[in-house]
Order: sequence, then C-alpha cells, then structure tokens
Amino acid sequence: MGMQKNKEGFIKLIDEHKLIIYKICNSYCKNQYDRADLAQEITYQLWRSYNRYNHSVKFSTWMYRVALNVAITFYRKTKTGEAIIKLTEPDTEIEDKKEDTAELEKNIDTLQQFISELKELDKALMILYLEEKAYSEIAEILGITETNIATRISRIKDKLKQKFLNTK
Amino acid sequence: MEDITLKALWKAQDEKLDRTMKLNFFIMESMQKQKAQSKLNGLARLKLVAVILGILWSLFLGVLIYGNQLRNIYFTVSVGMIIVITIAAIVSYIYHITLIKSIDHSQNIADTQKKLAGLQASTFNNRFILLQTPFYTTWFWSTEMIQASVTKFCLIAVPITLLFTVLTIWLYKNLTPLKMHKKWVSYLLKNDPEQVPVLQAQKFLEEIEEFKKAS
Repeated sequence: MGMQKNKEGFIKLIDEHKLIIYKICNSYCKNQYDRADLAQEITYQLWRSYNRYNHSVKFSTWMYRVALNVAITFYRKTKTGEAIIKLTEPDTEIEDKKEDTAELEKNIDTLQQFISELKELDKALMILYLEEKAYSEIAEILGITETNIATRISRIKDKLKQKFLNTK
Repeated sequence: MEDITLKALWKAQDEKLDRTMKLNFFIMESMQKQKAQSKLNGLARLKLVAVILGILWSLFLGVLIYGNQLRNIYFTVSVGMIIVITIAAIVSYIYHITLIKSIDHSQNIADTQKKLAGLQASTFNNRFILLQTPFYTTWFWSTEMIQASVTKFCLIAVPITLLFTVLTIWLYKNLTPLKMHKKWVSYLLKNDPEQVPVLQAQKFLEEIEEFKKAS
C-alpha cells in the first residue's frame, strides 16, 4: 500500500516535471531512439534515487541533478557523429506556414544546434540558465561557484550571439 | 540576441516537445528488467565479468599448484606470482565495483561526473597486471631442464625471460596517458578500442577541472 502510494506520488511528480526530462533528452541526444532511451534511463534513475530524496532541496533541483548526471553519462557512452535531427522538422499538419512561424522555428533550430554543440557541462549550464534558474540553484546543481557561472554564461552567450548573426 | 529572446525561444519548444515525446511510465512495472538493461551499469558489468574470469583463472592455477605438490619450484613460484597479481587485480576491480555502486546521481554534477570519469580512467592504474607476463616464460622451467643443457638454458630460456621482463617494465612505465606526447604511446592507446573510452574519460576529467576552476 505504502509502496503503491509512493509510486503514484512519484509518477505524479514526474508527470508535472516531464518537460525538464524532455528538454534534457532533446539537448543531449541526436536521434529520437536515443532520446527515448535516455528518457527511460532518467526515469529509472529518478525512481531508484527517489527513496533517498530527503526534501532538503527543492524537487526540481534534485531532479535536475539526477537527470543531468544521467544525461551526461549516457551522452558520453553513446555519442556518435550523427547529424542533428531537428525538432522543428517539416510538419505535415501545417501546409502554409506563416513567415514569422518559419522564422521562429529557424531560430529554435539554431538555438538547439548551438546547445547540442556545447561541451557536456556547458550544455547543462546553458539548459539551467535558459530554464531561468537562479545562479544559487545552478551552483547547487552543478557544484561550481556563482562567479564561475556568471562568467561562463556570459562567454557562451557571446558565442551564441555570434552564431545568430552568422545565420542571418 | 537579447536574453529575453533566448529564453522565449527556449520556452517556445515546450509545446512541440510535449507533443513529440512521451514518457513511458510502464517502466515502473518492469524495474528489475530495466535494471539489468540499464546502460549506465555497463562499466560495473564489465568489471564484474573481469572479476569472475579472474577468480576462475586463479582457482585453475591454484589446482595446478596443488597438483604439482612443490615438485617444481620454478613452476610453483611462477604460477604463485601470477595468482598474486591476478588476486590484486580482482581486489582492485571489486573496489571499483563498490565505488560504481555507491555513486549517487543526486549529488552535484561536477563531483558525480568526476567520480565516474575517474573510475573509468582508473583502468590505467590496473596496468600492474602486465607485470605477470615474465612469469609465463618461467613456469615450464625445471631443474631437469637446466641440468640437461645449461648452455641452451642460458642462451635461450634466460634471454627470453629477460627480454619479457625488460619489455614488461618498460611498457608498465610508458603505457600511461602521461606519456601521450610520445608518438607510439599515442598511436597504441588511440587505436586500442578498449582504451578509447578510458582516454575520453581522462579528457573529460580535465574538462571537469577546467569547468570547476573559478574564472
């Protein structure tokens, strides 16, 4: 009964935070099969660690730690030279895309492409930054200082700005 | 590109991701199966296989020594040394497995990844296994063989053993990432499929250190 309740609570929490998992999988995996594999692996490792979760940190902080650790390890084991599969691949449902939608999708692709090219740890940092996490929480998740975070983010953003300028 | 635009772009993918990705919660029903299939257990599994093979090999050699009943001192000492080195490797691998099992993914990224990469890179520390090689050239020595032809023994058997000894010590000292600047070490390590992940782990360790360094 307790186990069942625990499981239901866990599923509910994961369901509420599933976009975190999706975004991490999408940033660390180049193809849809790897993404599905990674999502399973993250869910499994979250479930394994769930009993040890002691509420001293926010659930999302704990979840980011587990998910990013699993994603980095998974990525290092499976990384190949495959081309990035765009998330915004042509959608058959919409035939006449408005110009601004096309522009938006192009920009999303550029952002995804850029993030996928970052080193594993910088990728984690950028995901947390784009998720609008406070520097103190990013520091808690990554295990580096807030000063270091600020410097790194600034450098990555400069590179990204250049990337967007080059694609114009 | 402004901050707000970057974050808005990041958010813009939410809906599409929600539509294109689905989490399979049935995974909860098959945790044991999933555990066996978990890709992250690969390193521990590899080391466990090495431990089992090492134990079987040591037992086999132990039976040979027991069967020999100290009749041939060369055989006993050689095989004994191989067993000692194999047991040291088994102990080292068991230690690694316990470390792998103790890794907690809910700890911060830099420390957890450092532990994992460190474990993978530690394969180089097990190169002491190489030191057993010369003993494979001495275990068939016997007093009878030496007495039958001291000249042949001194001209063939001893130089072979000496050659293996020198070669093994030299490899032990040089086959390390610290000597990667040497062309042949770099060539050997980069072309060995077993060493490639170890080298990547070494590189990743350096990246973690660089990442942690306050700018």
